[in-house]
Amino acid sequence: MWKHALWKKLSGQMPPQGRWQHLADPYDGDEVVVLDCETSVFDKRKGELLSVAAVRVKGREIMLSGAIDITVKSNAVTDPNAVRVHYLRREDREQGVAVSEAIENLLDFIGNRPICGFYIEYDRAVLNRYIKQLYNFKLPNRFIEVSEIYVRRKRRLVPELHLDLTFEGLAKDLKVPVIERHTAMGDVISTALMYIKLTRF
Amino acid sequence: MTIQINLNQPPFSFLSDEQLEWLTSRLDLVFFPQGAVILDEGDPAPGIYIVYKGIVEETDSEGTIFSQYGNEDVFDVRAVLETACKHRYTAMEETLCYLLKAKDFVQLLEESNDFSIYFKTDLGTQEQLVDQRETGVSEFILSRIDEDTIRSPVYVTGQTSLARVAALMREQKHDAILVRTAKKVGIVTGTDLLRATLLGDMTKQTKVADIANYNLIDVTYGDFLFNALLKMTQHGIERVVVRQDGDIIGMLELMDMLSLFSTHSHVIAMRIEQAKTMKELVVAARRLETLINNLFTQGVKVVAIMELITTLNRRLMQRAYDLIFPERLRNSICILVLGSEGRGEQILKTDQDNAVILENEHDREAVLPLLQRLHEAFLDFGYPPCPGGVMFISDSWIDTGEGWQNRVNRWLSSAEPEPMMNMAIFMDAEPVCGNPELFKPVKASWQKESLRSSITSAWFARPALQFETPLTFLGKIREDHGSIDIKKGGIFPLVHGVRALSFEYGINECNTLARLEILQGRHVLDEEIAQGLKDALLLFLRIRLRQQLQSHSDNPGLSQQLKLNSLRSVDRSLLRHALHRVKKFKQFLINHYHLESF
Repeated sequence: MWKHALWKKLSGQMPPQGRWQHLADPYDGDEVVVLDCETSVFDKRKGELLSVAAVRVKGREIMLSGAIDITVKSNAVTDPNAVRVHYLRREDREQGVAVSEAIENLLDFIGNRPICGFYIEYDRAVLNRYIKQLYNFKLPNRFIEVSEIYVRRKRRLVPELHLDLTFEGLAKDLKVPVIERHTAMGDVISTALMYIKLTRF
Repeated sequence: MTIQINLNQPPFSFLSDEQLEWLTSRLDLVFFPQGAVILDEGDPAPGIYIVYKGIVEETDSEGTIFSQYGNEDVFDVRAVLETACKHRYTAMEETLCYLLKAKDFVQLLEESNDFSIYFKTDLGTQEQLVDQRETGVSEFILSRIDEDTIRSPVYVTGQTSLARVAALMREQKHDAILVRTAKKVGIVTGTDLLRATLLGDMTKQTKVADIANYNLIDVTYGDFLFNALLKMTQHGIERVVVRQDGDIIGMLELMDMLSLFSTHSHVIAMRIEQAKTMKELVVAARRLETLINNLFTQGVKVVAIMELITTLNRRLMQRAYDLIFPERLRNSICILVLGSEGRGEQILKTDQDNAVILENEHDREAVLPLLQRLHEAFLDFGYPPCPGGVMFISDSWIDTGEGWQNRVNRWLSSAEPEPMMNMAIFMDAEPVCGNPELFKPVKASWQKESLRSSITSAWFARPALQFETPLTFLGKIREDHGSIDIKKGGIFPLVHGVRALSFEYGINECNTLARLEILQGRHVLDEEIAQGLKDALLLFLRIRLRQQLQSHSDNPGLSQQLKLNSLRSVDRSLLRHALHRVKKFKQFLINHYHLESF
């Protein structure tokens, strides 16, 4: 086991000594961070980060007042279809911050809390790509996939059940309001609601 | 941040844009499963909750339901202000609430006066605040200079002596007079005269041309009044000359202009007083509805509108009476208005409820055709006929003083619903034309000590319970196809209950608000109930009037259906509180009159 951890550290997987070291500490609080990234194209290797929103969830409370919603100043050429999806035109991004600053703020915000999202693998890959480049490690946090909890909960009762695993499908089945779909913040709130419902109701 | 509720309504609309923005950034969102207790008795409240989705019910430890909260309703402010929650709040279905933390809420209360007043006061004051907010652009800004606002000019020649000008000013009640010389027109005011004679060295015989001011400031006929006001302010003067196509056609006085808006009603009152034909009266009467509309949109309070309209209506009837009845008969009959008109609570015309007392039976033949004409005049004024036939053209509502006393006694001893209802209608009678002395002995016939705690009083009170209060047993407003009948559900039980108590205690007043005051003074009702009922009645009247004015029907006053979805959420919640007060009052009546045994 320690061999594995050591290998990860040496190979630039774990945060090195210093500023981000605490991210690898075991988490003993009761909060999770729900986050969502919007990218220029839907490709985890090429998609450039345009905005990221994150909120802490504690129990049944979504702590909106402390949430972060960062727009990145990016010149990335966007897929016109993607613009239609997230409404972030290049002009909107002019007001944003440098991507390094966005990542720094986000890491400070998350700390060592578990990270939750809908199709979180995508966000994880995108974020790790930047973090790796900037700080040479990958997020050591625990990741929680909302759709996975959903499937587990549903199939526990009826194993062969056909499930609509789209964002809208989940929201509809869980009767959770979809708030401003495809804004990072709106998606985060809806995802957080799904998470609360799946784990606290 | 993405906030999914409309904060652009009271109480949040009392906040400035910056404060609203700040508030928005301080909100958290909490998700409750069905059945979850959001706040329990004795809990400190973490803040105020604003419902986004779902329904929350407020109950006490015995399970009595106090209220329900839906979209955009706020709870529990009291708990935040007072340290602990007195009731239990339960999510009736999955519920999403925004949470504004106590310390942030308190900070806003400290920063904004209106906001804190709204929360720290009772229903009535909340109402007033909401009312004030509603007063949008005053009618003033949109009014134009027209016939009604200007005075015709008074001219003198330049040769006129100052003494003569001063005399003219007094005669004509003008403080400014135009001076015409061969070449130009000037103006001279009372102040100019004083200055010239007392401060200067002019005498009574000086020619006015010597002191007149030829630099006339003018406005154009049809221009906005607001512009005239601006000009007066700019030049520091109190009147301007009004021109049409370059010609002077009148003067506009600051004083007239200022009084115009508070006394638009004066114009109508004057027309009523000066009317010499029935036709002129009809014109004045038809303007009342516009007046009500204007006053209401200007934000004048319902109680003030009610008083004003009652006064005007009664003057209108008196003028019609004077025009129709010959002097010989005028003092030997007395015309009574009954029901809401008698109580002075009619705003838009509903129906004619009236009766007549004859001094002498032998006048009946002579009076009948005149009454018929008066009835027709009332129809022309816009009072629809009474569907129940409670009108002086019907034999049942015309009698001598003695005859009326006998009727009252028969009604009182009958213990039947119909005579009791007649008694109720008649009890609100107010003499409006003719000889009011005729009414005194009639009124005395039911103001008797023996009615106190009597079975007759209980019979009288009973109809107050006849209609159910439109609240579900969960304490929510029970609607019927999106609306409620506000008369049956709220106004009638309240008005009749108060009437019953006034009947029992021989109270002379007819107006419900005045009756409540006296009942409170005599310790029949405690202050909280009396004030609560006053607030409730004014709220019912205000919301009903608003919807009636918006309805654009021929007889808007007849509509009693209140559409709930066109109420703003703050009004809906006030309405629910008011209906709860009526419900509690009905319980009071049941206990007071032992009506459970009926």
